[in-house]
Amino acid sequence: MFLINDLIALLAANLILSQALGTSTIFIAAGSRKNLVATAGVITIFTTVGSAAAYLIDLVLQPSISDLRLLFYTMVIGVLYAALLVAVYKFGSRWFEELRRYIHVSAFNCAVMGTLFTINKRASMDGTVFNLGGYVTAGFEAGIGFIIAALILTAAYRKLNSSKVPASFRGFPAMLVYLGIISMAVYSLK
Amino acid sequence: MQKKTRKERLIWLDIMITLLTLELMSYFYYGIRSVFLAGICVVTGFVAELVSLRFMKRSFTADDLTCTSDALILALMFPAVMDYHISVIAVLFAILVAKNLFGGRLNMIFSPAAAAFVFVLTSWDGQLLQYTEPHVKTGLFETPTNLVRSASYVFDHTGTFDHSDFEVLLGNFSGPAGAVSILLLVVAAIVLMMRRSISAGAFLGTIFGTGLFAVVTPMVSSRADSLKYSLVTNMVLFSAIYIVSDLRIAPKRDYYAFFYGLFIGVISYVLVLTGAKENAIVIVSVLFTPIALGFRHLEKKIDTAEQEHSEVDAGEAAVTAAGEEAASHE
Amino acid sequence: MNDRKKAMFGGVLGDNIVLSGLMVISPVIICGDTLKNAVALIYAFSAITFLSVLISSFVPKKLPYTVKVIIYALISALVYIPVKLAAQEFYPESIERIGIYYPLLAVNSLIVFQTEAKFFRMKKTDMIISLISCIVGFDIVMLITGFLRELFAYGTINSRIVDVNTLIGGLSQPFGGFIFLGLMCGVYRFIRGLVSNNNNVRSDADVSDK
Repeated sequence: MFLINDLIALLAANLILSQALGTSTIFIAAGSRKNLVATAGVITIFTTVGSAAAYLIDLVLQPSISDLRLLFYTMVIGVLYAALLVAVYKFGSRWFEELRRYIHVSAFNCAVMGTLFTINKRASMDGTVFNLGGYVTAGFEAGIGFIIAALILTAAYRKLNSSKVPASFRGFPAMLVYLGIISMAVYSLK
Repeated sequence: MQKKTRKERLIWLDIMITLLTLELMSYFYYGIRSVFLAGICVVTGFVAELVSLRFMKRSFTADDLTCTSDALILALMFPAVMDYHISVIAVLFAILVAKNLFGGRLNMIFSPAAAAFVFVLTSWDGQLLQYTEPHVKTGLFETPTNLVRSASYVFDHTGTFDHSDFEVLLGNFSGPAGAVSILLLVVAAIVLMMRRSISAGAFLGTIFGTGLFAVVTPMVSSRADSLKYSLVTNMVLFSAIYIVSDLRIAPKRDYYAFFYGLFIGVISYVLVLTGAKENAIVIVSVLFTPIALGFRHLEKKIDTAEQEHSEVDAGEAAVTAAGEEAASHE
Repeated sequence: MNDRKKAMFGGVLGDNIVLSGLMVISPVIICGDTLKNAVALIYAFSAITFLSVLISSFVPKKLPYTVKVIIYALISALVYIPVKLAAQEFYPESIERIGIYYPLLAVNSLIVFQTEAKFFRMKKTDMIISLISCIVGFDIVMLITGFLRELFAYGTINSRIVDVNTLIGGLSQPFGGFIFLGLMCGVYRFIRGLVSNNNNVRSDADVSDK
């Protein structure tokens, strides 16, 4: 029973449904099963590993120079981006050509950056989250949230791109309204 | 094998008849105001559909009259004294945004009434969840006074339901204009299921899911009372008939529809039990849209596979028959 | 000449980065609920994007793509610092309300990806004009969104009360932003379709006149 409440809480804190982070990326992810798995997987890696690095930055960064936070987060994501490309090239060279575009799209993405800042904000309000485990869990949950939102959009993808949808609204406009109505239902449960 | 689908206009007719009887009951309790509100909603829905079909370069047919039933469903979910401006905006949202933006009745994604109800809930929850007591008649343009919370709200928060079974059956308790006449709703459900105008699987699944959890994890000390009141409050019966079991949205195959309704019933019951969320079933039915779409997609794939299989079988049978004929000639 | 003009000025109407390219939509959806927030975002986006792209145009083209993208992101993260410090002087309340979307503007896809895909393939002057038109396109969308959402959600224009009959509280929420932007995209496409049909009819008429 409380699993249902946890699921509702997860939906309510969803990156996309309540914060509109990574909306453009999710349109790519919903296009096909391959896109969904690859994009969602890469974003989850970025948010999980990135949040661990963000914890170390937040531990060291003084409040007086908090404006440098974006710079350090960008450096971390940059290193992760390069490292992931190298790792895929070395250990999965068969799939490198296919996977690299998903890595390019997912790296400097609102979903990833937004997750790091959201976790930081949450940690500053709730001290119990301010530990490595808390950060990594939150980063992983953000990735799962992205996957859930992508699945929600994938379910309706064909209908939203159908020729029966008026041409002006076919595709992205209909997807935005669809996500808006789902987001509205999630909001009403709060 | 798929049952032959009835024409939309005939389904619309059945649903309208049941809705009109609910509206009649609403008139009995709340007077001409509720009828006027319903009239405004229906006219707005009709005009919105007409205009949007013109923009989509489609002609208006009898099947498009479903806009009026959607508008009437929405009107019956409102308090009888709902603000007219809000009602008009809600109907416009239902028809233009939740329905025709996605392609209209040819490409349904959301239940228009459910989506519009949630829209009103998030924007004007104060006006939506305040009702007049039954037999309190408000003038057409009079500001309503002595508004009360619904009996569902009281039950969700306190576990008490101070109305006799007779009052429950006749809908003599505060709540949405059309969602409280329990006896009429039960009759409507039976008639609509028999005439295949709603998804029997989805309806039975919803009732079973709600009922099962109401008995297993009761809201009040008596399991029988928990079962009874869980089904008559929070628009469960009304939504089970007109929203969850909407043939345009629910899965076509009864066993998929049953599970679809079952999960909606269970989750909405849990939300009422743990969070005292009034009318949770409507919200959950909107959230379950991707699942309904997933089921429909699965059904399409099954139908395509069955068709291909039967074509292959027919081809093989033809070849075998030709072979046998050739052999018999020899 | 016409194609060149289109490429340079398309960012305002023909190829709007928000309504057509679906870039930088998170701040529009979440923070575009008042005119004050919209103006604060316009200032931040315009300053950060213009300066970042201009500075990034001096990054050597021969570097690998990945390295260039990282450098562009670092440049915009550095440009963000003085822009934010200046904004704290002019829009201190808005920065608090906008929250995490302020730094997110610095890593928007216009800076990180469109620079390589579009701007750096043009001549310097054309690039600057095209960049300005893209920025103006975002600004216009932001202003319209902020104005309309504030008017119908709160009944105010720039925090001044206006007599609006019925307010739609949901417009101020994220879901309201999603739905509003979706409708705006649809209307934009419809108008663009009408305009391009008109132009086609006119050009066909020109041909037939000959």
